[in-house]
Amino acid sequence: MAVRVITVARPAPGLARRKLWTSLFVGLAVVTAHFLRNLLKFASGGQDFTIHYPEQRLLQPPALRGMPVLVQMENGKERCVACGLCEWACPTNCITIFPGETANEVERYPEVFDIDMSRCMFCGLCEEACPEEAIVMSRQVEIACYSRAGSMWHKADLLVPQAQLKTRIDYLRHGYDR
Amino acid sequence: MAKTVSIQVDGRPLTAPESASLLQVMLDAGIDIPHYCYHPKLSIDGSCRLCQVRIEGMPKLQISCNVQVREGMTVYTQEPGVAAARRGALELLLINHPLDCPICDKAGECWLQNYAMRYGSRFASTLDPRRKEGKRLDIGERMLLDQERCILCRRCVRFCREISKTGELTVFNLGDRSQLDIYNGGRLDNDYSICTADICPVGALESKDFHHKVRVWFLQETRSVCPSCANGCNIAISEYHNRIWRLVPRRNDAVNDTWMCDWGRLSYGFVNSEDRLRAPMVARGGALAQVEWDDALAAAAGALGRFKNSHGGKALGALISPHLTNEENFRFGQLLRALGVERTAMAVRRGKADQFLIKAEKAANARGVRELGLVTGEDDGLEQLLKAAEEGSLKGLYLCGDDIVEVAERPRLAKILERIELLIVQNLWLRPEFARAAVLLPSTTFAEKDGTFTNYAGRVQRISKVIAPPADWASDGEIFTRLMNGIAATHERFDLAAIWRSIARERPPFNQLSFDRIGETGEPLAEAGA
Repeated sequence: MAVRVITVARPAPGLARRKLWTSLFVGLAVVTAHFLRNLLKFASGGQDFTIHYPEQRLLQPPALRGMPVLVQMENGKERCVACGLCEWACPTNCITIFPGETANEVERYPEVFDIDMSRCMFCGLCEEACPEEAIVMSRQVEIACYSRAGSMWHKADLLVPQAQLKTRIDYLRHGYDR
Repeated sequence: MAKTVSIQVDGRPLTAPESASLLQVMLDAGIDIPHYCYHPKLSIDGSCRLCQVRIEGMPKLQISCNVQVREGMTVYTQEPGVAAARRGALELLLINHPLDCPICDKAGECWLQNYAMRYGSRFASTLDPRRKEGKRLDIGERMLLDQERCILCRRCVRFCREISKTGELTVFNLGDRSQLDIYNGGRLDNDYSICTADICPVGALESKDFHHKVRVWFLQETRSVCPSCANGCNIAISEYHNRIWRLVPRRNDAVNDTWMCDWGRLSYGFVNSEDRLRAPMVARGGALAQVEWDDALAAAAGALGRFKNSHGGKALGALISPHLTNEENFRFGQLLRALGVERTAMAVRRGKADQFLIKAEKAANARGVRELGLVTGEDDGLEQLLKAAEEGSLKGLYLCGDDIVEVAERPRLAKILERIELLIVQNLWLRPEFARAAVLLPSTTFAEKDGTFTNYAGRVQRISKVIAPPADWASDGEIFTRLMNGIAATHERFDLAAIWRSIARERPPFNQLSFDRIGETGEPLAEAGA
């Protein structure tokens, strides 16, 4: 079978090249202007635009899905009743729960609640599945660790007081129209 | 022979034995009719009102569980009127049902959840608060009652009256105040009490053993047979994280209907036990030391071979375990033949029995050992073997299982084990009685292997592997095979299908059977061997 060849006409390079050079200089000008402005402000003791992480931290919007944490009520107990829905919903199987029993009115609590952060992909399905508003995605994103064992977060590490998670919980109630 | 009639359900023609329950006929035909109170093994109650259908010629909707099929009956199950009746019945059931699902053990296998999702209206028209009643009531050694969750189907009440014949439970009061409870001062402590948790369509009756253990949707269920007594109740083993969490009965009308005893149900603990023998041991310098599998099997084969050469096979006795499968014991028989062993016996623990399911022989495969022709005599040859060991004509013993410790008198057994020159033990546990063993091989439980058990009535039933043993583990059958290969220089493998061909060839009662033909509910042995 004969191969039909179509020759495609390329646009003349001249104009495109010229555009490239101009935009390069425009870009450089913008960068230089910012640099000089920051330098002058910084030198005169004024405000600068850079967030000096880790001394300074940006307050992330509530829509951010950081690491999932457990909500701790005012009495120090977790809201979680170990129903296992997050464990079921989790696409990466990073949650492991074993329930326990207490004499309290809410008789069930998680005896073991482990999240393997090296497997977590921050999808937020656990939060969505939770019927008790007990696991929410926090603003915490600093979860680097020195060993694989360090990526396993246990219940005591995961508990965060409810007050600190208020913005996210409000956002969820608004977003899911709860 | 019952007459059969033909009926029509939603335009689909069905045939059924006359006067069968219409609901059962439809369920058997694979038509999904929601129901709570109906149970094939219990009497009809008609309290849940969920299985209503329209039958041509009848003025109102009928509960199909309480209708007997008649010739030419025309039934409609999918009409708007039927759906509305179901929705209404479900709404009434849900009025007072607590929203406990996240902490309820039944969630995931709850019939109320399933039917509410499938047939319910997702809308409640009542404004009154839910009824408050007793929760987590300790009503028995093994049972908890939650009255709020109860939907008053009375399955448990009928079970206690008709099956366990103890009648502890009843529904007190009437109408809105109806309440499931125990008769004054009683306890739900009969031998079959946990069956009420199985048949409870909601989480009102819960087994303490499974209370807050694991969510049911994580459980992997595998068909097997209860190993606790000679009855061989059909069960499903629930596994999660390589552990058994519960045993539940499986329907087999020839053996256990749909029930099982509490004792058998709670007997799985030994499989998960930390105290089990997890590595083979060999006597070194007067004490038992843990060794690798290959070394232990080489040591055992060597010791048996040397013993055979110096004393002859007749000086070796074998105790056959009634807990091992037919295939394993058949292979053990081949090994014993290769060794020239003549004295074999079996010790079977005996205990409480009743007229229903619990049998006195507390081992799953005692009948199988007898049918395989491995032991003979009224007491399975035990007395003869012990006597021979006392007289000194028996100098070596291959012990499978530790039932002998329970069955024989302790001082007598201790004296025998004291005199034995070669003791090889294959057992789940390390027991002080076996301190003088030359080789101690770990045994494998019913949940860690495939095979068959023969129950007291001669029914051969399959068990399945649920738990994975450690990587280089040798199951009992593999132990026997590798010892036989070492001693008789054969090149056999422990292959169930091949072993079954040999069993069927050599043992007349098993003639008609093959491993692949034994289905979910087992096959009986040939009558000639019974």
